[in-house]
Amino acid sequence: MSNYALTRRYFLGSTTLTFLFGGVTAAGARTISGQPPWTAFTANPPTPELGNGLLFFIPSEFNTVDAIVARLIPADELGPGAREAGCATFIDRQLAGSFGTFQRFYMQPPFANGTPQQGPQSANIPHVIYRTGLAALDAYCRATYAGKAFIALEAAQQDAVLQAMEKGQAKFEGAVPAQQFFAMLLQNTREGFFADPLYGGNRDMIGWKLVGFPGTRYDYRDHVSKHNQPYPLPPVSIFGRPDWQVKG
Amino acid sequence: MMRAVATAALAALSLAAPAKATDQQSFEQVQRGRYLTTMGDCVACHTAPGGKPFAGGLTIATPFGNLLSPNITPDAATGIGAFSDDQFVNAVQNGIGSRGQRLYPALPYPYYHKMNRTDVLAIRAYLNTLDPVSNAVEPNQLPFPFNIRMSLLFWNLINFDRTPLTDDPDQSPQWNRGRYIVEGPAHCGACHTPKTWLGGDDNSQALKGAVLQGWFAPDITPDARKGIGGWSEDELVAYLKTGVIARSSASGPMAEVVVNSTSKLADADLRAVAIYLKGLKPGTSQSSRPPSADDPHMLAGKAIYKDSCAACHREEGDGIANLFPRLKGSSLVQSDDPTTLIRMVLEGSRAAATDARPTGAAMPSFAWRFSDGQVADLVTYIRNGWGNSASSVSASAVKDVRGGNGPDPVKAGQVR
Repeated sequence: MSNYALTRRYFLGSTTLTFLFGGVTAAGARTISGQPPWTAFTANPPTPELGNGLLFFIPSEFNTVDAIVARLIPADELGPGAREAGCATFIDRQLAGSFGTFQRFYMQPPFANGTPQQGPQSANIPHVIYRTGLAALDAYCRATYAGKAFIALEAAQQDAVLQAMEKGQAKFEGAVPAQQFFAMLLQNTREGFFADPLYGGNRDMIGWKLVGFPGTRYDYRDHVSKHNQPYPLPPVSIFGRPDWQVKG
Repeated sequence: MMRAVATAALAALSLAAPAKATDQQSFEQVQRGRYLTTMGDCVACHTAPGGKPFAGGLTIATPFGNLLSPNITPDAATGIGAFSDDQFVNAVQNGIGSRGQRLYPALPYPYYHKMNRTDVLAIRAYLNTLDPVSNAVEPNQLPFPFNIRMSLLFWNLINFDRTPLTDDPDQSPQWNRGRYIVEGPAHCGACHTPKTWLGGDDNSQALKGAVLQGWFAPDITPDARKGIGGWSEDELVAYLKTGVIARSSASGPMAEVVVNSTSKLADADLRAVAIYLKGLKPGTSQSSRPPSADDPHMLAGKAIYKDSCAACHREEGDGIANLFPRLKGSSLVQSDDPTTLIRMVLEGSRAAATDARPTGAAMPSFAWRFSDGQVADLVTYIRNGWGNSASSVSASAVKDVRGGNGPDPVKAGQVR
């Protein structure tokens, strides 16, 4: 029989271990009575990764992404777009962080073809999707538009490329399908447009101003009963708003 | 068996001893002592964090160095079990230890000197009923030359007023009782009276507010702006009894005082304290020139207040009764020294939780969100908004209070 057959000795040994560790866990637990605990300086603030320069992209990649986001959410009569909001910077910072390697996802094989409801089932992590996808996009543009890179194309041509990617008509070299790359680009651009400015996008709260989102305010009692009136206060981000700085 | 013999021997001794004014082992005496021990909040200093009550070992930081509080359980070897009554009284009231050594005035013996001997012996009677805890503590951790106890001879000459407290016949019995509590067992001035350069009480400024261990204990004379001038007697009693009233919540060290001490005192005694404090002579409050409402710092402070504070403390600084303290007209807010106010914004705060007000509402820390300059602007606005009036606060004052706790978000690159 196998080595793991249940013997008397094994049973007693494992039971003792369980008691030992069980006991340790119980001693480590906290009993709270009276009021909940409170300690000075307790906070769990987000850790922004701003800094200078690029953290993931090389400059040519950054310029291409910047050109793409400018077509996905263009500046128009409603206000500035994703380029002005710094969405390419946002994507760069996100790729450098835990998102870039899908740290929070289960990423072990097998990778079967799932239904759309099952979410991404690919082995491609965002690092690969962007790096390979951008290289394939460059090759696709140069092959299709007489050696021109994406950033050198007219706006209408750029839109045509992006539409071909979205519909899966553009065939990309390598492991990353054009459709998968486009889906991630579109999602990350939207995120960068509406995430808190501390993550690098939504600069000057452009996205929030566009849709009238008030930001990290949390008390609306004075306004609850004022129906069909615009909310008068400007948006405020996690680290404040320009009026928090002394002027002059 | 040994214990039975010992008890019998003690009983025989006390029977043989000549009749004393008070029986140190009577229930009344012990209860009286327990009450006075609560009033003096002895447990606050004589208990280490996580340690056994009254077994000592708490580090008391003074401007001259650290002291450790001694063990006052009746353990014969490491506590006060071997003290005679006279030795105990001499230590508590005169600052003379059992071996004749001078005690440091972290033990507020200049206050306890104002108590009568009967009350001091009642405290002894109560302490004798505690379980003896063996915990050897070396109180003197001071650096040279302060570790030389003889230097206290000189200190006592200057700072130790040995005038006994006698009732003032022109005042009501309540007023006299209040003065006895405030100047004696409750030793309010230990925190609320400014200190001289020698660390003694500056009695010309008695109870007019002082900084101690990183907190500003506010003025508790009836100054209308920064003292308790605007407080009614009832409000003072309710504050001491419950820790939380509409205009203020006890927090920081005062929360501990309310929880451990004043909330457990008799209403009549709290009323006496209120009558005495309301009857004190207020200081001459210099009204500072408030910054104008369109001062750039006031405008920045107002924006920060609106976005981060107004949800609880309300737009006009009214707070919410018995939950979020009122900032408008607050004496602590308008104190000359903004240390406590800055500290609360940076590290947050927890109100006292008593049987009457069990919530213990907490304020979150904002050290991560505001730069030193922003805290200064915010505090300046609060000190001068809605009719308040107090001096402006500088970013360097905030930096001093922040110390090493929490990075300045601007310097950490979080704010562009």
